[in-house]
Amino acid sequence: MRITASAISPMLMRLAAEQATGALLRDQGTLYLVDGRIVHAESPAAPGIDVLLTAGGALPPQGWQEALSLAGTRHEVGRHLVDSGRVTAGELEMCHIGALFDAAFFVLGPASGPTRFRYGVAHWLGRVRPVAAETVERETRRRRALLDRVWPCPELDTSPVVPRPPAPGQTLTGRQVALLRLADGVRTPTAIAWALGRPTFHTLIEVRRLAAAGLVEPPRTKGPAPPVFPAPLTEDNPEPDIALLRRVRDALEASL
Amino acid sequence: MPGIDECLLEAMTLPGARGAAIVDWTSGLALGSVGDPPGGDHEATAAETAEVARSAAEYQAFAPKDDPLDTARGDTDRKGLPVEDLMVTTRTGFHLIRFVETTFDSSVFLYLWLDRHTGNLALARIRLRDLSERLVLV
Repeated sequence: MRITASAISPMLMRLAAEQATGALLRDQGTLYLVDGRIVHAESPAAPGIDVLLTAGGALPPQGWQEALSLAGTRHEVGRHLVDSGRVTAGELEMCHIGALFDAAFFVLGPASGPTRFRYGVAHWLGRVRPVAAETVERETRRRRALLDRVWPCPELDTSPVVPRPPAPGQTLTGRQVALLRLADGVRTPTAIAWALGRPTFHTLIEVRRLAAAGLVEPPRTKGPAPPVFPAPLTEDNPEPDIALLRRVRDALEASL
Repeated sequence: MPGIDECLLEAMTLPGARGAAIVDWTSGLALGSVGDPPGGDHEATAAETAEVARSAAEYQAFAPKDDPLDTARGDTDRKGLPVEDLMVTTRTGFHLIRFVETTFDSSVFLYLWLDRHTGNLALARIRLRDLSERLVLV
C-alpha cells in the first residue's frame, strides 16, 4: 500500500488494510465497504444512482421501485435490474461508478464531523464494481485540485447560479445550455445536478468552467462590502468648496 | 451484454492493442482500464484524453446545433451523438476515442491505444463502435 503523507481519512485507510466490511458514516454521507474495498457511496450532496438512472426516462421510476422491493432485502437490486433486462451490465457499472466517486467526493470532503464505522452493514444495491479505497481517496484529492485549477472560487459550489449573457462570438455547448436553462438565480449547482440527473461534481466543474469563461456571475461575498471610493476631484469640478479652501489657506498661513 | 471489464478485454484482443480504458470526459476519471497506459499512468492518461474528447464533443465546429447536412437530408430525427469517434496518429501509435451513448446523462468514451505497425486502424474503429453499442444494448 502506498503511504500518503496526508491521507484524507486515516480511518478509511486502516479499514481498507484490515479488509473490513461495513458502513463508514460521516456527516456528509456514507461509504460502504466489503473486504476493505468500497462497493458504494451515498451523500445528501450527490444524486443517488436511482436519480441518475431514472432522470433520463429510460428506466421508469416504477421499474426502479419494483427492483427495490423485490431485491432490496437480499441486497441485490443491481443484479435484479440487469437480470430483468431493465438496465445493461455496462450501463449499471458506468452509472454506479459515477455515483460512487461523486458521493465519495463529498463524504471525504473537508470539515467532517466524527467518523464512525458499523461493522457488517451492507447496502441494498449489492456488489456491482468494487473500487480500492486508495483509488477513491486519490481521485477525491485529484478532483479538489481540478476544481481549483479551473477557477479557484469555492463559493461558486454553494451559491445560486446566475447566468451572464455570452460575449459576442462566445458560444455555449449543449451540456452548458442544459445546465444554464435550470439556473434561475435560486438553484445552486447541487440543485441543478439533481434536476438534470447528473453527478454533482460534474455540475460543480461545469459551473467553475462557466465562471472562468465569464458566463456566470461571481458569487456575492458574505464579507464586508468593498469600500466605496469617493469620486476623484477633477479640475473642471463645477463648484469648488470656496469656504473649505479658505479655511485650509488660513490654517496653512497661520502655521507658517 | 458485456460489462466494463469484458468490453475492455475484448478491445485488447484487437491486433496491436496496447492499452484500453473507459473514461468520463467531464471529470477525467477512468471508469476502468487494462493493458499499458501510453503516458505515465492510467489516471494521467484518462485525464489527458478526457480534455481532448471534451474539446471535440463540445466545440461547435464538430457539434453544431443545426447541422446543414442534416437539414439537407431531411433528417429531422437526429439521434445519436454529433461526434462518433476521434483518431490521433503519432509516430509510434494510433489513439482511438469512441464516444458511448447511454440512456442516462453521461459523458463517457472508450479509449484504445494501438501499436502503429501491428495495429489495424480500420478494424479497430469498427470493433470499437460495435463494443460501444453492445455496452449499452439490452
